[in-house]
Amino acid sequence: MAAEAKAENLAAEWNGGVLPYKIGHRKLGMWLFIMSDSLTFCALLIGYSYARASSENWPTPFPFSPSIIFSSMMTLVLLSSSLTMVFAVAAAKRGEKKIARTWILATMFFGAMFIVLHVTEWFHLFHEGLYFDALPDEWLAKWPGSSKLFGATFFGITGLHMFHVLTGVIYLGVIAARIKKFNAEDVETSGLYWHFVDLVWMFVFPLLYLLSVDFSAVGH
Amino acid sequence: MEQTKNREIALLNMVQALLAGGSLAVAVWAVATDGFKSGTDTLFLVMVCLLLALVFSIGPMMWAAQQGLISNPLAADQSEAHGGNRENAVVWIALLVLTGIEVLLAYVHLNITLMLIILMGLSIIKAVLIIAYFMHMKFEKMSFILTIVPILVVLLCLFVVFFPDGMRVKNLRSTQVPSLEEQQAAEK
Repeated sequence: MAAEAKAENLAAEWNGGVLPYKIGHRKLGMWLFIMSDSLTFCALLIGYSYARASSENWPTPFPFSPSIIFSSMMTLVLLSSSLTMVFAVAAAKRGEKKIARTWILATMFFGAMFIVLHVTEWFHLFHEGLYFDALPDEWLAKWPGSSKLFGATFFGITGLHMFHVLTGVIYLGVIAARIKKFNAEDVETSGLYWHFVDLVWMFVFPLLYLLSVDFSAVGH
Repeated sequence: MEQTKNREIALLNMVQALLAGGSLAVAVWAVATDGFKSGTDTLFLVMVCLLLALVFSIGPMMWAAQQGLISNPLAADQSEAHGGNRENAVVWIALLVLTGIEVLLAYVHLNITLMLIILMGLSIIKAVLIIAYFMHMKFEKMSFILTIVPILVVLLCLFVVFFPDGMRVKNLRSTQVPSLEEQQAAEK
């Protein structure tokens, strides 16, 4: 008897109806977008790993202090923005739209801070002589024969990620500005996008930064 | 009648469990003997074996779940108030701690392969935490989870299959065959 009841439950799980997945079409659409976008980032990161593994030499130019500490701060900022977004979604679900708006604004603040920190780092690297198609002379002397793809992959991947953060800040801005017209699921959908951007950084940070730590200066 | 049926089911489940265990053993054997030295070939074999193990384990697992021997860890307990702010804050702290461990690993300077494996392992744990709690996937309907998650995992794994070839590419540039300049110099 119990097994039959279970089988009926399982069938009910896959029944159609108005909302087969018990979620709205916008949220489903966002999940499908996130799936395709994760494949884009996966392709870029695998491309980077492939280029790195197949190169004779690859620069590992980031000293632990200040580069890694700086990028760890960026990670902290992005993770904090995810937490404030979770609070925004929770408030929206309780129907407290004003509180939700405050938390969304906090998320936007952290997002903007991330962009500012990241752009600062980019200009620092430009100043050192790293460009999309060129390595600084010092790096070439230190890691002879290393691939110019370092700049292309670094700016390509972090650039696309930063573009996603920027898009996310604008998206959240629209949600915050017109929060009275949006329901809780719309806020949750924007939250899904924001957490995805955070999620991507959880792979970009170790692959691009933590695996490129320069130990020559510390004397290991 | 009922007894015969039960015995047949038990027998079938046993066969499937054996096949799953066998596939898993082949995967372990492939990794242990070869250690990914032949690149994509081993990875392909391992992935096929793991997928087979997964397929064969579905029957026994469902049987065990029906008998109440195991419970689905993904199924949310509906009676419990889920996704509370306190729970999310705990997840956030866990993410910070995992990031801290990663940064610490970068500080102590490990072998790059070991480092890559540990970092990816930790990042996957972080990703699961974010998807399950922040993105609320743990509390969605089971059919939705089964629609989104497995296909994404398979697609991402298909990308990863390319990676070991990157290490092989260097060795494909044969050192035995002289370059064009060397050939011309030899002819002179």
